[in-house]
Amino acid sequence: MDTLVAQLQRQFRDYTISLYHQGFLDDQFTELKKLQDECSPDFVAEVVSLFFEDCEKLIGNMARALDQTGNVDFNLVGSSVHQLKGSSSSVGAKRVKGLCITFKECCDSQNFEGCVRCLQQVDIEYKSLKAKLQDLFNLEQQIVQAGGRIPQVDI
Amino acid sequence: MTMEQDIEAMDQFPLGMRVLAVDDDQTCLRILETLLHRCQYHVTTTDKAQTALELLRENKNKFDLVISDVDMPDMDGFKLVELVGLEMDLPVIMLSAHSDPKNVMKGVKHGACDYLVKPVRIEELKNIWQHVVRKSKFKKMIKSIVTTNCVSEGNSDQNGVRANRKRKDQLEEEDEEQEEQERGNEKKPRVIWTRELHNKFLAAVDHVGVKNAVPKKILELMNVDNLTRENVGSHLQKFRLALKKINNEANQQANLDSQFTQMSSLKGLGSFHHYRPIPLGSSQFHGGAATMRHYPSNRTLAGMFSSSLPRNHNDGGYMLQGMPLPPLETLHIANNNNNNKAFPSFTSQQSSPLVSPNNHFVPEGHQGFSPHLEINKRLEDWSNAVLSNNIPQSNLHSKPDALEWNLFGNSTSPNLDTTNQTSFCRDTDFGSPNAAQADSFDPLQMKQQHENILSPMTVAQLLRSSSGNEGLFMGQQKLENGFMASDTGSLDDIVNSMMTQEQSQAEFSEGDWVWVA
Repeated sequence: MDTLVAQLQRQFRDYTISLYHQGFLDDQFTELKKLQDECSPDFVAEVVSLFFEDCEKLIGNMARALDQTGNVDFNLVGSSVHQLKGSSSSVGAKRVKGLCITFKECCDSQNFEGCVRCLQQVDIEYKSLKAKLQDLFNLEQQIVQAGGRIPQVDI
Repeated sequence: MTMEQDIEAMDQFPLGMRVLAVDDDQTCLRILETLLHRCQYHVTTTDKAQTALELLRENKNKFDLVISDVDMPDMDGFKLVELVGLEMDLPVIMLSAHSDPKNVMKGVKHGACDYLVKPVRIEELKNIWQHVVRKSKFKKMIKSIVTTNCVSEGNSDQNGVRANRKRKDQLEEEDEEQEEQERGNEKKPRVIWTRELHNKFLAAVDHVGVKNAVPKKILELMNVDNLTRENVGSHLQKFRLALKKINNEANQQANLDSQFTQMSSLKGLGSFHHYRPIPLGSSQFHGGAATMRHYPSNRTLAGMFSSSLPRNHNDGGYMLQGMPLPPLETLHIANNNNNNKAFPSFTSQQSSPLVSPNNHFVPEGHQGFSPHLEINKRLEDWSNAVLSNNIPQSNLHSKPDALEWNLFGNSTSPNLDTTNQTSFCRDTDFGSPNAAQADSFDPLQMKQQHENILSPMTVAQLLRSSSGNEGLFMGQQKLENGFMASDTGSLDDIVNSMMTQEQSQAEFSEGDWVWVA
C-alpha cells in the first residue's frame, strides 16, 4: 500500500504534467524551477506571486481605459497588454500569453468589443492559473510536511 | 598589459561583472536579477529609468554593463540607451517583449550592443560580458595586432611599406592620444560627420595626398572648429581601412558590374549581418584571439549583430561587408584610381590595373581620371541618399500617455475580484485541506473553492456569461531566430544607421573595424 508521501508525490507529478499538457504552463516555467535552489527555495512562488500582482494591476488599468466610453485610449490598453505579454512569457504562463497576442491585435485594430472580450478572458485565465498553481504549491507543502521530497518532474 | 595578461584577465572577468538591470515590470526584473546572479554577476536593479540614470551619473565606474527594458513608462528605453551610450559610454543591452525587426533596428540605431527578447534565457545572459570586453579592454590589443599585420603585409612593395608605416605611425599616434585622454578622463565631444565635413576631409586628404595624410595636417586644412585631431584620426583610420578593403576586393574581381548591387541586397540576411561591424553578438570573441569568424545567429536577435566583419578576401562577392550602397564610381582620393571609395560604399566597375597586388592602397599618381567635380558630385549624390533619411526616429515607442499610469495609482477598481489578496506563497492556506487532515488531495474541495473566482466580476460592462476558453488559446508565437528580413530595409536606412552610429559612437567604433583574418 502506498505511503502517504508516495501518494502525494504521485498526485504532484500527475498534476504538474497535466498543467503542461493542458497548456497552462510551458518551458519557461521549467526554467524558473531550475533557478530555484537551496539559496532561494521559494523563488518560483515569489515570482508567480509578483506576476499575479502585475496581472491585477494591468487588468485594472485596461478595464479603466476601456471604461472610458467613447474615449478609449487603445494605446494605453495596448501597452498594458504588451507588458502583460512580457511578464506572462517570462513566467511561463502559456495561456495568458497566448491571449495577450489576440488582445494586442484587437487593440491595434481598435476593436472595442474584441478588447473587452479579451480582457474578460485574460481575467479568467490568470485567476484560473493562480488557483492551479496554488494547488500545486499546497501539494508541495503537504509532501514536505509529510516528510517527503518534492519529486523532479520531467515534462 | 601583455596580450597574455589581457587574456588572463578576461578569463576571470565575467565573474562579478557589475550589471545594472532596469525594467518596470517587477516580475521580469526579479527573474532577470536571479538569472544574472546565477551567471555570477553582481546585480543592481531598479524599475525606473530615471533612477538608473541617476545611479549611473553618480558614478559611471560603478557598473560595467546595463540591461534595460524598452517599454518603460517614465522614459523611452531607446532614449535611455542613447543617453547611457553618450554620457557613460557603457555597453547597453536592450530587452523587450517585441521581436519585431524594426525595433531591433531601432535599438541598433540608438547604440544598443545587443537586443534580447523576452523571455530571456540564462544561456543568452551568459555571454553578455563580451560586450564589455569588446568595448574597452581589447581595443589596444587589436590595434597592435593590426599594426603588426600591416607591417608584415607590405614587405614586397616599397610604396606599400611606406603606406604601412604611415598607418602604423598613425595608429600609434592615435593610441597615444587615446591614452592621454583616458588618463585625463576627458569626455570626447561627439562629432557628426556631415556631408560638408566629410567633403572637407576629402578635400584635405586630396590636398596632402593619402600617403601623407596625417590627422594633424588634415585638421589644419579642414579648419573646422571643435574638431579634434582624434576625431580626424579615427575618421581617417576608417577611411583607410575602407580603402584597403576595396583594394582587396578589387584584386579578386577584375570586372565587377552593377549586378553587384543586386547581389548585395539579395544576400538579405547575409548582407545585413555584415553591414555593421561594430556590435558583435555573442559567442564571437573567444579566448582573446582577435580572429573573427562568422557565427550563426543564436536564438536571440543578437544573431543579427554577429557580423563577421571583414571576412577574408576569398569571400568574393562581399564588398565592404555587403554594404549595399548605390554604386559610387569613385570618391576622389588623391592619386587613387577608380576603385577607391570613401567608406561604406562599394565599387561597381572594378577594372583597375592600378591596384597593387599587396592589397594596399597604393598611390600611383594621378591617372587622369575623373576630375574633382565629377567625383564631388557623386559624393554628393551618395551623401544625399544618406542624409535625406537622416531623421532620427525618435520615440516611436514613447507613450505620451505614460503618465496616466500613475494616475491610476495602486488601487484596483473596486469591482475587480479581490478574492485573494494575500501573497502567493506556499504557506498560504487557500482553504485547502490542511496537512493535519493528512488526507489525499481532494480535487472536489478545490473545485468548490475555485468556482467563485472563475465567475468574472470585473467592470460592470464586462459582465457577460463566461464563455470559457475555447478557441481562445492561441499557439505560442514562435520567436524568429535572428533577423529574417529578406529585404534589409532601404539602402539608405543602412547607410543612415552607419552614419548615426558613427555619430553616436565615434570612440566606440575606433578599432572595431580592424580585424585579423
